[in-house]
Order: sequence, then C-alpha cells, then structure tokens
Amino acid sequence: MTQTASDQTESTESCSYCPIAAGVSALGHWLVTRVPHGVRAAVLVCVALAAGAVYNAANPLGLPWLPSPGNRVGIPRAYESRLPEINAAEALKLYEAREALFVDSRDAKDYDEDHIPGAQSIPMREWGKLWPKLKSKPPTDRLLVLYCYGSHCGLSTRQGKALLENGYSKLVILDYGWAAWTKAGYPTRKHPKGAGS
Amino acid sequence: MEGALGKVRRVVTHPIFVRLAGVAVGAVFVRASFDKIMHPDRFADIVHDYQMLPLLFINAFALVMPWTEITTGAALILGVWRRGAGLLATALTVAFMIAIAQAELRGLRIECGCFDVSGLTSSEASWGLFIRDIPLLLGAVLVWRKG
Repeated sequence: MTQTASDQTESTESCSYCPIAAGVSALGHWLVTRVPHGVRAAVLVCVALAAGAVYNAANPLGLPWLPSPGNRVGIPRAYESRLPEINAAEALKLYEAREALFVDSRDAKDYDEDHIPGAQSIPMREWGKLWPKLKSKPPTDRLLVLYCYGSHCGLSTRQGKALLENGYSKLVILDYGWAAWTKAGYPTRKHPKGAGS
Repeated sequence: MEGALGKVRRVVTHPIFVRLAGVAVGAVFVRASFDKIMHPDRFADIVHDYQMLPLLFINAFALVMPWTEITTGAALILGVWRRGAGLLATALTVAFMIAIAQAELRGLRIECGCFDVSGLTSSEASWGLFIRDIPLLLGAVLVWRKG
C-alpha cells in the first residue's frame, strides 16, 4: 500500500491529469465495493432513465414524456398531429352533414345497448382477432370519427394508431367520446332525436 | 426433517446456486424488456389499462420501465452489483404482482404486458401469471439477500 501511495504521489507531481484519474479510480472503487445496495439499485434506475431518454429521442415512434393534448397517452410524437381531437359539438356538425363515418371502439355489448346512429362497431379490445377477418372495413378515403366510453378511455386513440398503420389518414377522435355525446343530449339509436326529445 | 431443510438451505444459498438464480432471473428480465423497448406506445396503452398511475406519468413510466428491466437483467447476468440488482428485481417483481392482483380483483380484462406488448402472443393478466411470478420473486430475493 505504501509503495502504491508513493507511486501515486510521484505520478501526481509528474502529470496534471493523474489526480483526476486517481479520483475517478477511487470513485470507481468506492462504487464497486462500498455503495449500499439501495444506492446501487437507484444508480441502475438512473442508467435506465438515461438510456431510455437517448433511445426515445432517436426513435421515430418515440413518445412525448408527458401525454399528448387531451391527456391521451401512448401516442407517438409522429402521430400526434395525425390524430386530432374534436369536441361533441363539432362531431354533431359532421354527423348532421353526413360528412363522416362514426366508429364505435367500445365493446360490442355496449354498442348493442346504444350507440351513435350509423356508427360502425369495431371493438378495439377484439382488434387483433376482428380486424383481419372484418369484411366491411370502413373506406380508407372517408373521414372517420372514433369514439369510446369517455375520459380515461384509450380505446379510440389506440384504434386511431392501428388505423393509421393500416393506411387510414382521415381520422379524428371524439374527445370524451360517448360520455360527451350523451351528456350533450345528441341523437343515439335509442333516442334518434336526442335525449329529452 | 430439520436435517433435510438444512440441506436444502445449504444448496439454495450455495454461491453457485445463487449465481445461477441471478442469471435465470436476469434472463427473464432482459427477455421481458425487448418488446416493450420496441413498442413503447403499446406498452403505454397497457400501463394505461391497469389504471394504477395518473395519466401524467404513464408515458414516462412506459419509457423508463423496460430500460430498468434490461439494466437490471444485464447486471444480474453479468454479476455486476448483483445484490443491488437483486433488490431492484425484487421491487419490480413485487410491483408486477401488485399490478396483476389489483387488475384481477377489480375485474379488469386486460393484457398482461409481461413479455409481448404487440398483441402477437400476449396473455391476459390473471392469477396464473401472478403465481408464475412467485418463483421469479423467490429468485430475486435470493440474489438480493445472498448474492
């Protein structure tokens, strides 16, 4: 040890970078031998955070760290502008002008119970099994309004991503979905002229 | 009987057994991270389905979690900071088990997101998966305590 210490002193005198190297070496030794396990676990998480950040920045389908506008999670940065949201009043205009096809992303039993008149049911939870076999797929050149249950429902945005990957480009998401539509009292299959009519 | 238990204990805590347990747990973690790293958006969808995290944190969690898995797994396989990595593996496995259990108790019919998140071979979160995590937890605890 004494020999090593004197060697270090000598090399410190002869080389201005050596104290840094010695410091790095001592830090490395301390990290490898003395750091508590909890701190090492935390360091591993920090390494993961850094690696995740670098990979996400370089990934074309990377995610924004915070959710997209409207609190939509899991939307890659590249898709954000391709899946705009509209509110219920804007959706009603499209419905009345018959300018769009409404797509119901909810489960089939909820669609059967009630839905926006004319909407096509494509339950997102069954997407993997259903889509390849679906005979009456919506036309790719038609504007599609996707909706699911309401807030905290990711089915319609998830369906939007899947449709983008299948060649659809005219897509909008109905913000707050079925909950917003029914709250506004707009037409449903059970109430063709709207609730309260 | 006690002699048999002592023998089992000696075998289980033998450095070679602990080392092998670390490699096995590490391999599971590394394998589990691949598809999540490739499809962070789909993993975020699955995290969303578990309804455990505020929306604000879901994307960030989906971006960091798979890298935590691969870092932990690589450390366990390579034997670097094994006990720290074992501690992290234990914490992660407990978190997975809590997530699966609460999904089952709340009746959520959701994908597990354990290995495959792209829907090709995914399985539903279930008590079966919860039980499957128990050996993983035991392995992780062993490495943490005895690594």
